[in-house]
Amino acid sequence: MSALGAVSVQFTREQLAEVRRLQALYPDKRAALLPVLHLAQEAFGHISLEAEEYAAGLFDLSPAHVHEVVTFYSLFFREPRGRHVISVCHNLTCHLLGAQRVLTHLKKRLGVDVGGTTPDGGVTLLSVECLCACEMAPMMQVNDRYEGNLTPEKVDRILAELR
Amino acid sequence: MVRLTIDGKEVEVPEGTNVIEAARRLGIEVPYYCYHPGLSIAGQCRLCMVELGNNPRPQIACNTQVTEGMVVRTDTSKVLETRQSIMEFHLINHPLDCPVCDQAGECWLQIYYMKHGLYEPRMVDEKVHKPKAVPLGPHVILDAERCILCSRCVRFCDEITGTGELGIFQRGDHSEIGLFPGKELANPYSANVIDICPVGALTDRDFRFAVRVWYLDTARSICPGCSRGCNIEVHYNLRRPHHNQGRRVARLKPRYHAEVNRWWICDAGRYGYKFVDDPSRLVSPSRGRGDAAVEIGWDEIIPVIAGQLRRYRPEEMGVLASPKMANEDLFLLKRLVDHLGLAHVDFSVPPRHPGDEDNLLIRADKNPNTCGAELVGLGPREGVGHGGARGILRAAREGRIKCLWVFHHDLLASAWPEEEIREALRTLECLIFQGSNANRVSAAAHYVLPSATWVEREGTFTNFEGRVQRFWRAVEPLGASLADWEILGRIGAALGLGPQPVRAEECFKALAAAVPAFAGLSYGELRDTGKVVSA
Repeated sequence: MSALGAVSVQFTREQLAEVRRLQALYPDKRAALLPVLHLAQEAFGHISLEAEEYAAGLFDLSPAHVHEVVTFYSLFFREPRGRHVISVCHNLTCHLLGAQRVLTHLKKRLGVDVGGTTPDGGVTLLSVECLCACEMAPMMQVNDRYEGNLTPEKVDRILAELR
Repeated sequence: MVRLTIDGKEVEVPEGTNVIEAARRLGIEVPYYCYHPGLSIAGQCRLCMVELGNNPRPQIACNTQVTEGMVVRTDTSKVLETRQSIMEFHLINHPLDCPVCDQAGECWLQIYYMKHGLYEPRMVDEKVHKPKAVPLGPHVILDAERCILCSRCVRFCDEITGTGELGIFQRGDHSEIGLFPGKELANPYSANVIDICPVGALTDRDFRFAVRVWYLDTARSICPGCSRGCNIEVHYNLRRPHHNQGRRVARLKPRYHAEVNRWWICDAGRYGYKFVDDPSRLVSPSRGRGDAAVEIGWDEIIPVIAGQLRRYRPEEMGVLASPKMANEDLFLLKRLVDHLGLAHVDFSVPPRHPGDEDNLLIRADKNPNTCGAELVGLGPREGVGHGGARGILRAAREGRIKCLWVFHHDLLASAWPEEEIREALRTLECLIFQGSNANRVSAAAHYVLPSATWVEREGTFTNFEGRVQRFWRAVEPLGASLADWEILGRIGAALGLGPQPVRAEECFKALAAAVPAFAGLSYGELRDTGKVVSA
């Protein structure tokens, strides 16, 4: 699904069945809000205000309470994100071993600031807290994959593979 | 019942009571922000920490129910140190802008800082900045920096109104309360969040910057906005008359009544007092219509009114009493009506638009004393066949009724065709208007008798379930206006009815003696909570 194109906020029949399955797992169906929001992010690319209201309708919650959850967690994207998401760890170990150098290099190569998405919708760059991989510091997460022992050269190779 | 010991004193409380309420029984104050007896327990503010038995660490009192033999200490050094630390946490990002904050003087941050503050602040870092002076709706304005995230407002919207507008967004020290983007806090009870906000985060757009709260005085009262009869406090300012454009009544606040309104009032009632200090107030008796009206004194107008009431035959006279009048007024009017032998009497005039109603407090009948007017007997009489208030107006149009005495009603705002009313008012030989504010009836009246508003006098209203409740005087009657019962008493005396009551309490005593439903009642008997009469 295009990250920047307009998406209509509406689950498919299969996705709705999944919502009902998730809701049935818990004594209070509200507990299924997190997995359903992940489902929404997968389906719609990001969680817009419209998506929050849609999810609220599925749970008989007020939109404000869905907004609470979405703004609490940093892994919900409230703006359209790129096809790839790069999260650079800036926590202690990575910081001591050169995370700033990696981040500065990425910003220069991508031409975006932290939190930004390249104009072609390719890559979103984030700076995040510890990802529990200090043994490979400085490290970053590229989509679902960890990349460690980073140098500017290694970052360039990773970026080239992404294109 | 459960027996426990708090700070060495024994107390017995019902099962299910929490430690805060149990301590309150003993007059021991456990400080708190997020706890509210009308809302669910959040355990958010952590200020109500107490020591329980030999438990090594203090625990929150709000979410601790009493158990048999429980030993609670609220006064140990550990508890006091904990309070001090919690207060320090609450104030880390607080802007300390009390001099420009409307909550100053009734702020629980100020109050508890006095008792439990750490007077040597240790904060050196830049504070987190958040949205300021954000209107949330027609009545409420938010300063997110002052908020301590107690979540009372959020729980109010979830649990009392069920509207769920508010939430706590973001996390950690960036957490802030707010609305879903693009939405408004506009439910009919929205301003209650201002009352329950313990700090200056939610303030009243209407009251903001009007008067400093330490200049306000308080009178107990009853909301006249509908037939629910919510218990309220009238907050009025006489100490700084130059503030707030000279308006004496500054705000209304709910007053707890277990069976009527609990802690809440609706926004319509809360802001419905503006007529009290409005330029439309009638402040002097007058005679003559429209531009020809001349202000005269009470001593002059009373004999004239009495003369007019004597001049017409009973069947040529009509009285439209008002369900906004107190029981005391209605009873003196009833005595007068009976003395004069009038049959064309009613109090009920339907509004043009039917009133809104809900399951919480708001009643469709926007009058505080319809029940009282019925019990006193000012409704249409069986068998007389004049068809109530509308029948009286028809008779006026047809010239059968020549003299009409209207109390308070703006008949032109009624459900009846305007032309019908205008013609009736035009045709009357003698139209007497008695009320607090000018309207289209007073403009057409030959005589105007200015009434004091409910905050300017004592009295009682009978709510829709027959509960008779007292209201007290907050401020003096404006100008020459007088309580309706006082005006009616003077007219009664001029008509030779004998000695008239000089205090509202006497009117009520006479009412209790004359109307069976009120038998045995007195102001003393009514106390603060009122009494339900058998309707």
